[in-house]
Amino acid sequence: MKNRLRVLRAERDWSQADLAEALRVSRQTVNAIENERYDPSLPLAFAIARVFALRIENVFTPDAEPPPPTGEPPE
Amino acid sequence: MAADPQPKPLVDAGALWFVVSAVGSVAGGWLSRQAFRDSGGLTAAESVPLLAGLALILVAGFAAWKLAQAGVYSWLLPLAAINLLLLQPGRAGDVRSWRLEWGVMGLAWTLAAVLVFARLLRHSDELERRLHLEGAFYGLAFGLVASVVYALFETRLPELRGQWVAVALLLSWWAGYLVTARRYRWRA
Repeated sequence: MKNRLRVLRAERDWSQADLAEALRVSRQTVNAIENERYDPSLPLAFAIARVFALRIENVFTPDAEPPPPTGEPPE
Repeated sequence: MAADPQPKPLVDAGALWFVVSAVGSVAGGWLSRQAFRDSGGLTAAESVPLLAGLALILVAGFAAWKLAQAGVYSWLLPLAAINLLLLQPGRAGDVRSWRLEWGVMGLAWTLAAVLVFARLLRHSDELERRLHLEGAFYGLAFGLVASVVYALFETRLPELRGQWVAVALLLSWWAGYLVTARRYRWRA
């Protein structure tokens, strides 16, 4: 899963430690998420979005977006 | 943006206290045994290595406490393994009280390691918990495979001691933790 953590932190001039403190996780966990080595749980992903006052899809995007629907939606 | 400190290499964190505690345990145990080489009473000359040995064991205990205090719990696993090797009841000789004492001390080390990790799992965040659970899984998996392989060749292999099994499980748990931590670029 891709994420914009590094960019969002830079915009707010936050260090990894600042973000980790806000999320109540270790700095190493923020580092692992930021480097896309670890996908956070759903509650942590929502907490990250909340800290940045964004929607979760503005922070995280799947590696491969699903193809756009071509036909009629299923009944 | 505020600068992020570079994470310390994994092997550096807690390594100093680990070495102090391991050397203290090994040297302290060896010196203490020297005092009891003879079955007779303790002479004044023999009390010197005994006191030095006890002092080193205290230093080893202090270093282990520093490791726990610093939160680098993973180093307690190899430390417990070393102490279990030192405290094999079979090495205590024929004196039953010593065998009992060594066995109880080994059990205390094992229980301490388990309790510390239970506490760690309750208080760690989701990634750290995952690292330890995956590490513990690798330790258990190694233990299972090794047990079956031993059973396959047990007629040709030396008799297995309980302490060896505990040491192998602790070390494979630690190795599993290190491998998992590296995978997630975790720096303890």
